Amino acid sequence: MAALVVPTHRTPPGIYRAARALRWVAVILLVLALIFVATVAYSAYETAHATVESRSLSGVSVANGEIDISGSFSLTNPGIYPIQSLTFTAHVANDSGVPLTSAAVGPQTINAGSTGQFPITLLVPVNESGAAQSLLFKDQYLEIAAWANVTYAYFFPLAVTLTESRSWGAPFEGFTASAGTPTFSDGVVSAPVTIDWANHASFTEQGALTYTVDSASRMVCGSGSFPVNVPAGQPFNETEPVALSASCSPIGGEVLVGYTFDGSTTQFPPEPIP
Amino acid sequence: MSAANPPTRPVPESAPYKVPSLGYRILMAGFRVVISFVVLIALPVAALAFVRSRGIPIPVPIEAVTAWGIVLIVLSAARYVLKPTAAYGPLSIAVSGVFLAYLYYLVLLSPYQFVLPGGTASIAAGYSLFLEALMIVPVMEIIAGVLTTIEDLAWPKERLPFDYPV
Repeated sequence: MAALVVPTHRTPPGIYRAARALRWVAVILLVLALIFVATVAYSAYETAHATVESRSLSGVSVANGEIDISGSFSLTNPGIYPIQSLTFTAHVANDSGVPLTSAAVGPQTINAGSTGQFPITLLVPVNESGAAQSLLFKDQYLEIAAWANVTYAYFFPLAVTLTESRSWGAPFEGFTASAGTPTFSDGVVSAPVTIDWANHASFTEQGALTYTVDSASRMVCGSGSFPVNVPAGQPFNETEPVALSASCSPIGGEVLVGYTFDGSTTQFPPEPIP
Repeated sequence: MSAANPPTRPVPESAPYKVPSLGYRILMAGFRVVISFVVLIALPVAALAFVRSRGIPIPVPIEAVTAWGIVLIVLSAARYVLKPTAAYGPLSIAVSGVFLAYLYYLVLLSPYQFVLPGGTASIAAGYSLFLEALMIVPVMEIIAGVLTTIEDLAWPKERLPFDYPV
């Protein structure tokens, strides 16, 4: 009968152990995944509500044929996971949808518990006539579209699209330059040149306006300049007589104006003289 | 029985084990149902309702979360109650298969796109990579269920002393 006794072993069969091991590993992975999701949700909430974004506009200037809009934004990541592969692209168009300029930042990583600072510079060429040049002379609304792409907590890609319409105050709103009727006095022919505009920009305009009064055949009849120091929101209106060359008639010609600031000149479109 | 006809596999028939009564298993399954309900339905639905109350569209319909949750809870409870039987393996495969299908359904809904109230910002949040990685969990459970099914078919009740040791 002793031979009939089935030996009892306390070690589970291999197939049982394999199934049990798989279940344990699966349960552990599931628990870790749940903990991970919970911490990601908490961390993302903290990140979104702490200091989501701070923007600053450090300066707008007109120089060297460009409107230079520089600023920065910062993102604080108080969470426990990094913000990775951050890229930021901004497109600026006028209210007709004509693209004016764009800027891009990244890719960057903002580690957990740190703040990322991102400078942005928008350069709008305004020397050539077109939609961009109208930014100098015409208040308008700008359509700003920005895209930010990040990967949060290694697994979660996030794409944010921002669109907003912003009013733009032209630094030379309503700019006009005109030459009056030439007069003869004391052997000198002169004509009054009047220049006026309103500074609707957010910065003080400093520098000088230089101008030439040209004949219809594009000969320079006379030239002069105005010093410029126009605070934001203030108008500019000056008239001064300019001596004209003999035998040079400005009738049918044009007034050419350039704004000189910081050693560089931005040329304005010609103003015809009737 | 004789020495010339020995068992080909040492079966621990004499190993002590005690299968809980059906009533006890149903009771314990009921407790698990409560916990599963909180994890699979109550918390997700509460989170979705919170998001929707903020005027933000939700990534997955509440009805779908509830339906998938109920199916998973019922199958899990049945698996627990029937653990001493040969239905345990197939039910494990079924539970994990439904879980896998649930994850796949959620992957199809990724990315989660919505527009913030006010309309100036739209967000697309992808989570498919995480869910695809998470699919390893039900896959492992399915393999475990297949192994258990094979074991129960080949050596019925072999695992009971280890599942229910005294």
